[in-house]
Amino acid sequence: MSTRSRLTPGLFFGRAALIVYLLIMVLWLTFPVLLILLASFQGTLEVSFSAPFNLEAYKTIPPSYWEAFWFTIRAALLATGIALVVAIPAAWAMVRGKLAGRRAMSNLVLIPDVVPQLILGIALLTVFIPLRLSNNFVGVMLALVALSLSTGLRFAEALLEGLPDEYEQAAQSLGANKLTTFRLVVLPLIAPGIAIAALFIFMQNLITFELLFFISGPSATPISIRLFSDIIDRGIVPYAVAMAGILVYVAIAFYALVAVSLGPKYMAGSVMTRKG
Amino acid sequence: MNTSNNVAQPVHIDRVRKTFGEFVAVREMSLDIAAGEFVTFLGPSGCGKSTTLKMLSGLLPQDSGEIRFGHKRIDMLPPNKRNIGLVFQNYALFPHMSVAENIAFGLRMRGWSRAAKDKRVDQLLQLVRLEGLGGRKPEQLSGGQQQRVAVARALAFNPDLVLLDEPLSNLDAKLREQVRLDLRDIQREANQTTIFVTHDQVEALVMSDRIVLMNKGGVEQVGTPYELYATPTTEFGARFVGANNLVAATLDMSSGTAQARIGADLALPITTCAADLDKDGTTIWFCVRPEHLALRPWNKEGEGQFAGRVLDKIYQGTTVLVDLDVTGLGTIRAERAALEVGDLPIGAYIGVHIERSHAVARSTG
Ligand SMILES: Nc1ncnc2c1ncn2[C@@H]1O[C@H](COP(=O)(O)OP(=O)(O)OP(=O)(O)O)[C@@H](O)[C@H]1O
Ligand SMILES: [Mg+2]
Repeated sequence: MSTRSRLTPGLFFGRAALIVYLLIMVLWLTFPVLLILLASFQGTLEVSFSAPFNLEAYKTIPPSYWEAFWFTIRAALLATGIALVVAIPAAWAMVRGKLAGRRAMSNLVLIPDVVPQLILGIALLTVFIPLRLSNNFVGVMLALVALSLSTGLRFAEALLEGLPDEYEQAAQSLGANKLTTFRLVVLPLIAPGIAIAALFIFMQNLITFELLFFISGPSATPISIRLFSDIIDRGIVPYAVAMAGILVYVAIAFYALVAVSLGPKYMAGSVMTRKG
Repeated sequence: MNTSNNVAQPVHIDRVRKTFGEFVAVREMSLDIAAGEFVTFLGPSGCGKSTTLKMLSGLLPQDSGEIRFGHKRIDMLPPNKRNIGLVFQNYALFPHMSVAENIAFGLRMRGWSRAAKDKRVDQLLQLVRLEGLGGRKPEQLSGGQQQRVAVARALAFNPDLVLLDEPLSNLDAKLREQVRLDLRDIQREANQTTIFVTHDQVEALVMSDRIVLMNKGGVEQVGTPYELYATPTTEFGARFVGANNLVAATLDMSSGTAQARIGADLALPITTCAADLDKDGTTIWFCVRPEHLALRPWNKEGEGQFAGRVLDKIYQGTTVLVDLDVTGLGTIRAERAALEVGDLPIGAYIGVHIERSHAVARSTG
């Protein structure tokens, strides 16, 4: 644009206020993360800039923590994968199939999100105990799948609603059947959004706590539960802070992975399908 | 694998109908299209053009009626089994595929070999004059180039029928004029049976072998561009295709030839009449095209001339539109060469001669 409005005092203060507002918001959002990262290099939440920063706390992380950490990573990844594999075709059938009862379906899958997770956990427990799924990996993973599915379905539904159906109609008129259309046209077009959905779901799974409170046990302990029980029993021990730091690195690593593979334009805001 | 000249088939549309609830979007449409013919569906917004195309392509099921290619009935086949090429208004090129991959998509679905595909894609890139751009992504092309890729993609697999739904409406005026002719040439060269949809009557006149004029879900008239322009059969046709002056009149057959009676004492000869007009006293529109009004200096003794006062002049480059107040006929518009009427002053009186006229039935009083 060649014509720029002149900067009047009112406009100037308006802009300044907006910038201050945004800065405060960013600080508020990043403050806990920054604090945890700094704290993990001192092994205490009382960060002091006169004390040395080092890796001592990381070195003291006990094997049981690492076990819980890898347990969680495995369960979270697997649940994310399963949820997306189920959710995307289901959402496609719901959005494009014009199925009767579609509204009801869309709302039903929200239930895991609106029912308090603790209660969902208790409900799952009553099903899992007779099935011998409590206190084991598969049980934890399936609980995470239930949670991931609702997020996955909503993401996929929104993505498909946003995709003009002309691409699919074009593919069909060119001779593609439903499956081929889905594989060659729909999936590639919503892939960027799906990657972001995967990121969200994985993060959610990584730190889910209440849902797993009753389902987990001594032989199936996610890292969130391990941290919780240790902090309750022993206070904020240095290696707990260090492990919190590691979870932040995992989050940042996954974010970076998605951001780099998609390019920056998809990460900022609402651009989630490829542009034609 | 045959890569060219499959035998083109005629297309038969037989009493096809579509309703949305109570609303009749397409009423009992029947049409036979010859192999290799270029047919245009012309009509105002909402008249059912796209709905008809969707039924032909299988994207929308018809309520009743049949569609056949030659003797083969296709209306119960899904879209991917119909062998119809579709060009969308906004092209719907696959953004994640290159131009060549887009064009080859239909061939890929039909299991063509790599070599055959490459050869056919090259052929088509040449046909639509996009040689060397096969490796680009659609977003790296201009609107006109994208449009031609969409056409190439729809032609590639030798479809029995190609359907284009307002494919030029996203192009600027200049480009649209060029692409119109390009598209026409491509269609002829490929001898491709084609249905083209537009609400732009100039586009329809320029491009078509035949035009199907549609209104409110029904067919008003089917004919060559010349027939539609020179001899509209309905009031809608007379108003919609080309500029026209419509004067309310009644049909007078008393002298043996058709005359238009206007007011109490004016009777004018009618050059051509819509086919169903023969009953004396029928209320009609007496239609005169602006270019069929000759303007000559006013001459007291002149035969068959009207006195016209110049109300306004609209300069258009090669021609000028002259709005006239004509005694007995009211306000009418003439279109004359700029050289001829350039210095005609507004307010001047001039002799108006009707060179040709046409009559259609008047539906309302
Ligand atoms: N899915 C639908 N449900 C209800 N009515 C519809 C539906 N699709 C189309 N219509 C109606 O049917 C009529 C014909 O629509 P259609 O899209 O065929 O018009 P068109 O001739 O292509 O117009 P345009 O030039 O604006 O594209 C319109 O009045 C439209 O409102
Ligand atoms: Mg339309």
